[in-house]
Amino acid sequence: MAFDFEDMLVKIKDKQWALVDIDWDAPGAETIGPELWTKLKPFMSDLMWIENVGARGFAAMATKAPTETLKEIYTYFHAEEQKHANAELALMRRWGMLDGDEIPQPNINVKLVIDWLDKYSDQTSLAVLGTVIPMLEVALDGALVKFIVDEIDDPVCQEVFKRINSDESRHLAVDFQVIELLGHAKMRRILVETVGAWMKPSLIIGTLRYIPLLNKMRDNIVDMGVDEQRLYSAMGRFKKVGERSEFPRRLPMYRFITWHSGVVIDRAHPYHKLADGLVRLTSKYPKRLLRPQPTWSKELTYEPVA
Amino acid sequence: MNETLNVAIIGGGFAGIGTAIRLKQKDVEDFALLERGTAAGGTWRDNTYPGAACDIPSRLYSYSFAPNPDWSHTYSGSAEILGYIEHMVEEFDLRPHFRFGHNVIDVRWNDATSLWDITFDAQPPMHARTVVMASGPLANVSFPAIRGLDTFTGHKIHSARWDHDYDFTDKKVAVIGTGASGVQIVPELVKVAKSVKVFQRTPGWALPRVNFETRQTTKDLYRRFPTAQTAARKAWFWGHESVALGVVWNSPLTRVVEAVGKVHLRRQVEDPWLRRQLTPDFRAGCKRLLMTSEFYPALQKDNCTLVTWPIATLAPDGIRTVEGIEHQADVIVFATGFDVCKTGTPVPIRGRGGRVLADEWSGGAKAYKSVSVAGYPNMYFTFGPNSGPGHSSALVYMEAQIDYLVEAISHALARDLVLDVREDRQQEYNEDLQRRLQKTTWNSGCSSWYLTEDGFNATMFPGFATQYVGQLRAVDYEDYSVSECRPLSRSSR
Repeated sequence: MAFDFEDMLVKIKDKQWALVDIDWDAPGAETIGPELWTKLKPFMSDLMWIENVGARGFAAMATKAPTETLKEIYTYFHAEEQKHANAELALMRRWGMLDGDEIPQPNINVKLVIDWLDKYSDQTSLAVLGTVIPMLEVALDGALVKFIVDEIDDPVCQEVFKRINSDESRHLAVDFQVIELLGHAKMRRILVETVGAWMKPSLIIGTLRYIPLLNKMRDNIVDMGVDEQRLYSAMGRFKKVGERSEFPRRLPMYRFITWHSGVVIDRAHPYHKLADGLVRLTSKYPKRLLRPQPTWSKELTYEPVA
Repeated sequence: MNETLNVAIIGGGFAGIGTAIRLKQKDVEDFALLERGTAAGGTWRDNTYPGAACDIPSRLYSYSFAPNPDWSHTYSGSAEILGYIEHMVEEFDLRPHFRFGHNVIDVRWNDATSLWDITFDAQPPMHARTVVMASGPLANVSFPAIRGLDTFTGHKIHSARWDHDYDFTDKKVAVIGTGASGVQIVPELVKVAKSVKVFQRTPGWALPRVNFETRQTTKDLYRRFPTAQTAARKAWFWGHESVALGVVWNSPLTRVVEAVGKVHLRRQVEDPWLRRQLTPDFRAGCKRLLMTSEFYPALQKDNCTLVTWPIATLAPDGIRTVEGIEHQADVIVFATGFDVCKTGTPVPIRGRGGRVLADEWSGGAKAYKSVSVAGYPNMYFTFGPNSGPGHSSALVYMEAQIDYLVEAISHALARDLVLDVREDRQQEYNEDLQRRLQKTTWNSGCSSWYLTEDGFNATMFPGFATQYVGQLRAVDYEDYSVSECRPLSRSSR
């Protein structure tokens, strides 16, 4: 049966929730012990920032959506990712991880991605963003969020991530449907668009920022005590779900992303020499070369009301 | 016996008053202006929100047959326009023709009498040989389809039904809508409110609005030499006509209009993300162009925030947006425009053989030259289907409609005729019109109040104002089926 985007949009609107729906002062915050607290802080910060960059990705996708309905869906996803980031920030505040009104700083790899998204995402094709963003979402949904749900007992946190998971399942359903739609295009068009995309230095720069981001994510979750296999099986799921139909395989960008995820999860692959090297290199990236942080990345808030 | 008039004009705004003036000038005195309100002025009586003004220069946004040398600025505010309307009512002695408190609820053609039977909700019915539907497209307010609209417990104000008793001082204000009225209201509210949150769904193309004060010497000149005022009006007319090349048709000149809009935005907004949020993703002209030099600076005031997250629902204390935040407000201002009749009629209209106009227009309104509809004899529309300008003054178009229908009415009254436009001529006209509309900016792929949900354009005229005026210069009676009135109708005069 054909996917009904209209129906999905109605469902998205029906499932809206707000930060005020959650009792942030309810008991349970004390379940986070000091050891977990220390590890959780950078983890939550990364998670929040990745949601925020995902949000910006959807904002860019909305501008090139082929239909008004899909455009509206992406506009909602943009806001929902921001809501997830806001909710995660509110959890950090609940757990006493914020110093006053402080918003945790993104790590350098996230900063590089923010910088890239700010400069290039609006000019990047749907075929590129529409395959990269789902990969990040699969990793988020399948590894990081799952880890939180499994390891943290705080009922408020459970409630928040139940809602986030529910949103993300709709995001993934649309993401994969769009990949399939893109795969229906004529091969000549697909090839012209792919060559066109890779001719742009922005995509090379973006790839060089995406590669260390993934490995850095892996390092961070390993530091948390998460089995990195979780991330790998989540990334493997991208290929598994994507290839339930023949069409995604017609997309060179999809093939590249699945190949890339394949080498990422193969720890013995020489790729990791490059990726880990890039992580080390980017950790020394001179901050003065980064443009000022864009205002869209300063809109995060833990306040349920404004 | 119920009253029978020669002409019933439904609506006492600009169009109704213009029709009345021209009828009087043709010595047709047996007419009434049926007005549901208690004062003349229509849209300009209703739109009195702070900052309300016309975005067409006053010299052009006034009737050529009722020139006003005293316009204070290039663009006038609503109070001054309403003053002009009231001045016309007095000058042309229209007050006796007004029937205030006459809210029409049904208009029905009677084949047996060749009369229109008009029913009101609280007045005795009346009959008329001719009806002019001058109810205007911007008469009924529109609230957006937002979830939880009635759950908000604070104060709600629609821009076209302003509550002048409400004190905005130190209040938290939410404004929904950034169209023509939204961009005028926001700069005024930020001056007094504690905070203003502006909820934008789609940004529009905004062009600078340079509003000069008219010098006394210029006013004196226009008063002493009316031809100078006529010349100034013509200059504005042709200036706007040239803009049609970029605004009406999707052409290389549309890019020039967009470039002007982008430069305007860049000059006034420093932050790149705010600029992106305010940059439209449709062709200039596709939605109504905004004329404002105050909106962007107002948005950047410390007490003002632009919110572009979709609205999830209204809640008792404010507006919940999809990024999960409840934006609390003391008052919500709905600058969400009007319920423009594209697929229905403002009041039920039944024509020959009991046909219902709303049913016939359910897929999109259609008329002959926007003024006549087949099957609805001796009925004329001002601002009817496909008479909207995207680049010029509505009053230029309205004046052409009025002159046309007054000519037809006086012709029919003098000869006891029933004029009903031919169905085939109406169809030919609309086929040509819709073909021409395909090349316009309005049909270039955005959704707007110009189009029905199915994308049918029932509102705009695809051409220069000159072309529109030209097609209405003379009544082509061959395009109408002409019959004599029934004796009953004559005897009732």
